[in-house]
Amino acid sequence: MKFYSVSMKQWVENLSNVASEFQIFAPILQNDFLDYELITPDNIEQIIYNTAKPTTPLKAFFFPVKENVVIDKKADKQRVIIGVPSCDLHAVNLLDKIFLDKDFLDIYYKKNRENTILIGTDCYKITDSCHCTSYGLNPYPEKNSDITLSIVEDIVILNVQTEKGEKFLEKIKDAEFKEGIAAEDKLKEKRDAVIQELDSKNKELPDAERTRKGIESSVDEVWKEYAEKCVSCGACAAICPTCHCFLLIDKENFEKVKNWDSCQYPAFERVAAGEDPLGKIYERLKNRYLCKFVHKPDMFGEIACTGCGRCIDACIGKIDKNEIILKICK
Amino acid sequence: MSEKNIYKPIKYKLDKVVEETSLIKTFFISAKEEFEFKTGQFVEVTIDGIGEAPYTPSSSPYVKDKMEITIMKAGYVTDKMHQLKGGETLGIRGPFGKGYPIEDFYGKEVLILGGGVGLAPLRCLILTLLGEEDKFKKINICFGAKTPADFIYKDWYDELRKHKNVELLRSVDKADGSWQETEGLVTVLLEKVDINYKEAVAVVCGPPIMMKFGTFRLLEMGVKEENIYLSMEKNMSCGLGKCGHCAMGDYFVCKDGPVFTYNEIKDYPDIWI
Repeated sequence: MKFYSVSMKQWVENLSNVASEFQIFAPILQNDFLDYELITPDNIEQIIYNTAKPTTPLKAFFFPVKENVVIDKKADKQRVIIGVPSCDLHAVNLLDKIFLDKDFLDIYYKKNRENTILIGTDCYKITDSCHCTSYGLNPYPEKNSDITLSIVEDIVILNVQTEKGEKFLEKIKDAEFKEGIAAEDKLKEKRDAVIQELDSKNKELPDAERTRKGIESSVDEVWKEYAEKCVSCGACAAICPTCHCFLLIDKENFEKVKNWDSCQYPAFERVAAGEDPLGKIYERLKNRYLCKFVHKPDMFGEIACTGCGRCIDACIGKIDKNEIILKICK
Repeated sequence: MSEKNIYKPIKYKLDKVVEETSLIKTFFISAKEEFEFKTGQFVEVTIDGIGEAPYTPSSSPYVKDKMEITIMKAGYVTDKMHQLKGGETLGIRGPFGKGYPIEDFYGKEVLILGGGVGLAPLRCLILTLLGEEDKFKKINICFGAKTPADFIYKDWYDELRKHKNVELLRSVDKADGSWQETEGLVTVLLEKVDINYKEAVAVVCGPPIMMKFGTFRLLEMGVKEENIYLSMEKNMSCGLGKCGHCAMGDYFVCKDGPVFTYNEIKDYPDIWI
């Protein structure tokens, strides 16, 4: 758990020097959307550090929208993802349990995961939909990072968490990287301020356990009411950092493409004979919440909502997940 | 890649296709590599470039170089299966899921209640039980179909009746002039079985409506909830507990099932649809 501190200027310069050796992705603002972009010396200064979640969830790097899972995958350059927020890092717990399950190891996910260096960052700015602290997470990296990156007064503070992280840092650090943590008090102050901001903004919002109870005791009328606005587009699942459902689509030569799918789509559970346990929109909507707060905790010991709030931002029917939770937990 | 790829099917040859009824065919598949499975487990069968679907083999797991799968034409992929003539190459992944816990049936009276194409996995189960017939106190079989013509495996029943430890009763919803056995829903057979329901284990497989009323009738007859084994039909895509399509409450049916006891799943809504 070694700490290094370096000036922002030096960090950018050294990172730029290795940009061609790796595939580096980091959040950049484009047309009002913050999203991961491939970093080159040309855009490296536009990286936005320490802001809440990029639009695309981290899962897309390990579990791509479409991936041929029969043909051999050619080796890619090692990937480095800078600016991963805590909500997405937590989601990796559940994704790993599902795709790295020892009974049925997904070698494609494993390869993508092993080939990626995660640099988690603190969130110093939050958005309206952020609510990670409601579910016991902190808005700074706690797990699954190879390196964490914090910034205090233009000093980049790096904390090496894994051997993979150590190896990457060996490539970029020079004499300007000083061992130790600069301005620790100030870092704590910054983090505490964000926690306080989140807690006060979301003070009405129930925690995971109360949310679970609310969902379990909810009446169908609530789900029917909100289902009126749902168009089954599946955006909530696509942008969710933990949603892992997919469909295997057949191609010639017995090839299969693992394609993102969603329980919000019609016919997701329909069987050949026509029976469909999730045939109605309200059943699908409720299923999403049951999955996140009841079934996943029972099955994997992890709630499947990290409070990133992307589903609230993405919903074209303006269904506010937290509004539903507040209503059913009254 | 050195590690096993869970998504890649192994190729098998479809030897021949036999028509059972107007909607149901049995597919005979031969394997170069021995195929190991336990009764009640399922496989994912791929038609090249068309699609993949889950089926439970209907042949005996003791036979390792051949496999039979009985399929009802019900949707897109099964419709394409029915167009195959034999000689084609199929892809198979699996076996997946937990099978029937046969050891738990030892020393007990076993009641097998099946209807329609639900007889397919039950044939595999019965062939397995008959491999060690003496281990069970009695094997009672109640089979139903819509009409006499809708019974699959038409040559099998006389053979079954030769086993001293087997009692087979059959019913059809609608009889014709030649039908000598019971007329009525398959559940009426339960009244005729000489069995101590309170100590028996029951296995149910068939159309959802039959499974529902069959299970309720068995409960009324005194079978314990934990002794009723149900084979659940779900829309499995991956078979690996990952894709989410077969989620049922706290279970992925593909990995945790497809065989469940009634008490494991009774509290979930809509298990019968």
